[in-house]
Amino acid sequence: MGIFTRAVRNLSRRKIRAMLVVIALGFCMAIMIALPAGIAANQAAAEKLTGDLGNTIAQTQSIINRTMTQIDVSLTPTMSQGPSVSSGQSGSSGGPTTSGPGPEYGGGQFGGGSAKPMNASLYDDIANVSNVAAVAPILQVVEGHNVTEHPSMIINGVQTETGESFNVTVPDYIIYGIPLDSTLIDSYPILPTNITEGRNLLPGETGKVVLSENSSAYFGKGVGDTVSILGTDFEVVGIYGSTGVADKQLAYMNIADAQAITNSTGIETSLKVFAANSDVVSSVANDISALHPDLNVNTAQERLSQLQQMQSIYNSQLENAQTTMNQTQTQANGETLIAVSATSVIVLFVMLYTVRERTKEIGTLKAMGASNRTVMSQFLLEGIFLSFTAGIVGIAIGTVASPFLSSILLPAVQTGGIVINAGTSQATTANAYAISPELILIGLGASVLLGVIGSLYPAWRAAKIRPAEAMRYE
Amino acid sequence: MSEIVLKIEDLSKCYNPGKKEVRCLSKLNLEVKKGEFTAIMGPSGSGKTTLLNIIGCIDKPTKGKVLIDNIDVVTLPESQLYKIRRDKIGFIFQSFNLLPYLNARENVELAMELAGKFKGERTARANELLATVGLSGRENHRPNKLSQGEQQRVAIARALANDPAIILADEPTGNLDMKNKQEIVKLLANLNIKQGTTIIMVTHDSQVAAHTERMVLLKDGKILKEKAGFLQAQKANAQQQTQTAATSQSN
Repeated sequence: MGIFTRAVRNLSRRKIRAMLVVIALGFCMAIMIALPAGIAANQAAAEKLTGDLGNTIAQTQSIINRTMTQIDVSLTPTMSQGPSVSSGQSGSSGGPTTSGPGPEYGGGQFGGGSAKPMNASLYDDIANVSNVAAVAPILQVVEGHNVTEHPSMIINGVQTETGESFNVTVPDYIIYGIPLDSTLIDSYPILPTNITEGRNLLPGETGKVVLSENSSAYFGKGVGDTVSILGTDFEVVGIYGSTGVADKQLAYMNIADAQAITNSTGIETSLKVFAANSDVVSSVANDISALHPDLNVNTAQERLSQLQQMQSIYNSQLENAQTTMNQTQTQANGETLIAVSATSVIVLFVMLYTVRERTKEIGTLKAMGASNRTVMSQFLLEGIFLSFTAGIVGIAIGTVASPFLSSILLPAVQTGGIVINAGTSQATTANAYAISPELILIGLGASVLLGVIGSLYPAWRAAKIRPAEAMRYE
Repeated sequence: MSEIVLKIEDLSKCYNPGKKEVRCLSKLNLEVKKGEFTAIMGPSGSGKTTLLNIIGCIDKPTKGKVLIDNIDVVTLPESQLYKIRRDKIGFIFQSFNLLPYLNARENVELAMELAGKFKGERTARANELLATVGLSGRENHRPNKLSQGEQQRVAIARALANDPAIILADEPTGNLDMKNKQEIVKLLANLNIKQGTTIIMVTHDSQVAAHTERMVLLKDGKILKEKAGFLQAQKANAQQQTQTAATSQSN
């Protein structure tokens, strides 16, 4: 039975009081632990987002650099033109058409997206433009499911439908037919890049697909599997990692296969035009635009400018997010300071009360020959033990409730349109809040330190009590 | 001639010195021999407990000397005084003052723990002392599981733990019923006779005081008179018998 046992037994004498104090202190400790965990989680989420955006921009930049001579040509979609056309599966109503009231190059809207079918004469006209080195026809068909939207607005406090309802195709995957002509695919960037599994498509190959990671996940198929697309079986020969925003759901295949399964023989939805060199890109683009006013002509230079704009917006958003993160850090520092102060003050008052309550016992100990140091050590130990127990409880609470506590105590951070907020973040997971061993050690260390700080004065007071006065105390 | 274990010279104690002064002890002189069982008696406010506290080094006099085993404890700083309390004094209080979170043996051991004795030695000595005061088999009981008489016995065992020069008992029978009162007085007297323990007991109960060797009557902070108690006659008889036996044996 040493001084440690006496300290422990003293605390356990009044179990309910000790328990309440430990819980109160435990919550303070939990806040101290949860805040750094939340900050770290937010920081990690912000860094991940920054990294993701940076990667996307870098990849897009790389593609643009590789395709400096590439001009994307498509027909500007017009809502009034022809029926909505797709391949005839879930979200479609029949085969595409090239005839109709539209311009001579094409007809109905294709696949519910931005692409519109073109006819062969457009291909020939563009191929004949001066300084055009090659033209690659592309067939892009969006496969998805239709959702009927009812436009509405609140009128006099009542949600009221306004106008006719319309169908919207929510894309599941995109059939992306490309010409597997060796002269084209060997010389120009048409095939998907960043193959992560298997291989790329080969010249003249049919019945094969290369899926994006997203579409692979959608079909639940990997390399070597057979995937059924619009009722036709294809062998998956490769999977590619995304290289940008636009290619996340694509299923690359021979354009002939794409035309066959979508009943679109002889039809393409866009053209990749390659200029003879980067100096003539602008003049070639102008010449193509002059062919028809409905043509949507997009050069790498324009895409680069769009990318720079996008980059600037992202940078500004990240800067805002960092500013908010800094404010969050300041707020967290303040809250931690309050929790630290509260812990010390609670220990201080509890121990002061204990000393007062046990004045006679202190007198007895001194009469028996206990030194000032012995008395001080015992009360200091009791304070430390109380605080240490609270530290353990706090770590337990912090481990379980860290996301919740952080979401209450820390403000949300907006980054690139994604809300980062401890506990509710789209960008952070529960794992991000895992209390690290370092944090546990720091928490336990802090609990001991705060126990010392809080009980130092009461213990000193206990040591300085004059035994004769203590013996008279009632 | 018996050794003087306590010598008090011109001891004065007043509260609020220089202001509204209350004089508690006034130029008091007292000597206590080793092995003596002394009772200090007097009405309330006569300075009994103040005198005991000063002897026990838990209070300081305003003037005078207090020599315990020839050490003037009045001049000692607190850093030395606690050692005197620990090694030379054993306290017995009216309300026992046992630590409620320790059992009987641990309460006795605590005094030895403060003196830096080892665990094995402490436990053996505590068990022995508890047996001496008649508490064998009650060692593991906490104070709230002991009767008041038993609690005071534990307190006596605790006071004896470090084999002190003087046992100071402040109204040790004040909280006890008649039966326990007699038993505790008997126990103290036995300890005094058999082990030669020096005991100074403060009491206002003349019947209890009568069982000691020497009665000192205090009034207004001064010794009014001294009387011999029953124990002195018993000790004299015992000594005479011992001497007679020794003489006849030598003849």
